[in-house]
Amino acid sequence: MADILHVGIDLGTSRSAISASNGERFVVDSFVGWPADMVAKKILKRAVLIGHDAVANRTMLDLHRPLERGLLKEGSDKDVEAVRELLKHLLGLVGVSANGKVDASNVRAVVGVPAAALRTNKQYLRNSMKGIVDSLLIVSEPFAVAYGLDALLHTMIIDIGAGTTDFCVMKGRYPTEEDQRTLTVAGDSIDAQLLKLIEERYPQANVTIYMVRDWKEKYSFVGDAAQKAIVTAPVKGVPTELDITNEMKAACETLVAPIIETMLDLLARVEPEFQERVRNNIILSGGGGLIRGLSEALEKALEQVGGGKVRYMEDPVFIGSDGGLALAIDAPEGDWEKLSA
Amino acid sequence: MTARTDRVKRRLLKQAFAENLDTIRGLPPRSVRPSNRAFRIWLKRTPLFILFLLLAGSTYLASNPTAAHDTFVPAKIVINRPRRPVAPASVIDPSGMSITALPLSVHRVVIDAGHGGNDPGTTSPALLSEKDVTLDIARRLSVMLEKSGFEVVTTRTDDRLIPLRERARLANQSDSDIFVSIHVNSIAQHTSEHGVETYYLGPTKDPTLAKLAADENRVSGYSVADLRKLLDGIYADARRDESQRLAAAVQQQLFTNLKTNDRGLENWGVKRAPFIVLVATEMPAVLAEVGCMSNASEVAKLQRADYRQQIAGALFQGITKYAKEGT
Repeated sequence: MADILHVGIDLGTSRSAISASNGERFVVDSFVGWPADMVAKKILKRAVLIGHDAVANRTMLDLHRPLERGLLKEGSDKDVEAVRELLKHLLGLVGVSANGKVDASNVRAVVGVPAAALRTNKQYLRNSMKGIVDSLLIVSEPFAVAYGLDALLHTMIIDIGAGTTDFCVMKGRYPTEEDQRTLTVAGDSIDAQLLKLIEERYPQANVTIYMVRDWKEKYSFVGDAAQKAIVTAPVKGVPTELDITNEMKAACETLVAPIIETMLDLLARVEPEFQERVRNNIILSGGGGLIRGLSEALEKALEQVGGGKVRYMEDPVFIGSDGGLALAIDAPEGDWEKLSA
Repeated sequence: MTARTDRVKRRLLKQAFAENLDTIRGLPPRSVRPSNRAFRIWLKRTPLFILFLLLAGSTYLASNPTAAHDTFVPAKIVINRPRRPVAPASVIDPSGMSITALPLSVHRVVIDAGHGGNDPGTTSPALLSEKDVTLDIARRLSVMLEKSGFEVVTTRTDDRLIPLRERARLANQSDSDIFVSIHVNSIAQHTSEHGVETYYLGPTKDPTLAKLAADENRVSGYSVADLRKLLDGIYADARRDESQRLAAAVQQQLFTNLKTNDRGLENWGVKRAPFIVLVATEMPAVLAEVGCMSNASEVAKLQRADYRQQIAGALFQGITKYAKEGT
């Protein structure tokens, strides 16, 4: 029997990551683009561009971000195609391809998707990924994170992605609807808010959402500013330094109230005798976990219900895919065979 | 790793596979299978529902002893259009699910002109009353929406008092997609300031907002304590994200549009408050405070038809912006 390759894939709105049992790990931006016309095709010399390449050449591309707002839009063939290209690309990176080292029939893949996508169009999602690998298990992203961290009991995962913020309370069972919540305030909504605020303050400056996203990744914070957020953008064509500290704070803080509200609401639904343990076991993951001051703000809110601890992961990029990989490795081969039917 | 963790992991994996197999076979997720789910919802929601019935009944008798359901003439309702197909799995609990998940665009809009009849709303010394301003803006807005292909349901087309509960009932019966209520502020302590703000349903700790909500809710007859009980069950609703998005779109258009010829206009932002019309409506719902009766210059402007037209235009842009984003 040929060697089996186990992989965990985190299919995110903004970034997608893969971890494989051969030790390979990769992350790409979740952008897929096709050359918009013949000229673009000639220049780019490729049928499809993925990740950073796609963003960099976006002016020549029909660019898709298949899981925008945490959902795979139904009825959009291009988005389905984009998901498939993204999966194939990720698998190719770890050596899975038609003529590569590993054949697709020997891959056991666990794919973590935004919780909202799984909840609303599970069937559609599954069909969209059909035929890429033989054995495919789809789970919700926060569940994969929890599994990878062994945080299976009395834990709350708050996964702040680009399109959605997913909450999941782990109660030692496969999370049901009532254990999970999804908010649409997340990284993308911060970007949009920040762009708007910057445009209001510096109407002359020329700023795009991609610039704003980079600035956010560098300077995001809530509460007191540790440093000034000074960025450079063209004003009437002249590169100019802009102070966007206040705008950054205001945009990032739009996340705080809804997250606190949902966190407290989910906590209140936990069986009373376990509430304290869950409060002391809150884990922030996803890119939003890197917002400075956020865990402190959440801990402050927890004080009104008896105090708690919010941890955040230093390196959130591969938490989801590593969790998926752990799931893939732990799953008995017999179960995999059932799925590949 | 402890034996216990191992056991939990095995159980989780088994459940994950079982769920994936169900999906392949086309079965709904275990957690929402009707057998146990419907019953549990029934158990959980029944007290709330009974409370609601009791409240609604008593309020109805208390607030309008003479009016009766069947003599009430709804301003304008379109009911004969076939309903859009509803998702087959009607047992699915929508909490925590964003409406953007569903293939949905805005077809039908409820426009609610605040106050009316014996309830003038806030009034100015110049005898301009909120009920007239809101009605005029609602009319202008309706025309714009209809021209762009929306279907419009209005809760009142003339100067009469329609209880808030009745407005909500109208809206719910019409199977509309969104609900926009138009109001005018009056802030007695701050006559020099004026601004615009948009509300969606949510809890508030701000005492001035609580008072504002109490003022606008006055005709409903609910006591604050009753309201709180009702609200607790509704805050976690799936509508909230959508309402917030609608409120943000409306507020942004209102402010940017009205600011163009009024530099002093303040952006009071998107806020949450427990207005009763927002509680009882079953669709994403917002309440826009489009001006300030407590400010003299604002009153002068509100008396001008072109300014009211501008407000209607801003609301229209907010609604279309939301509708476009949602598709």
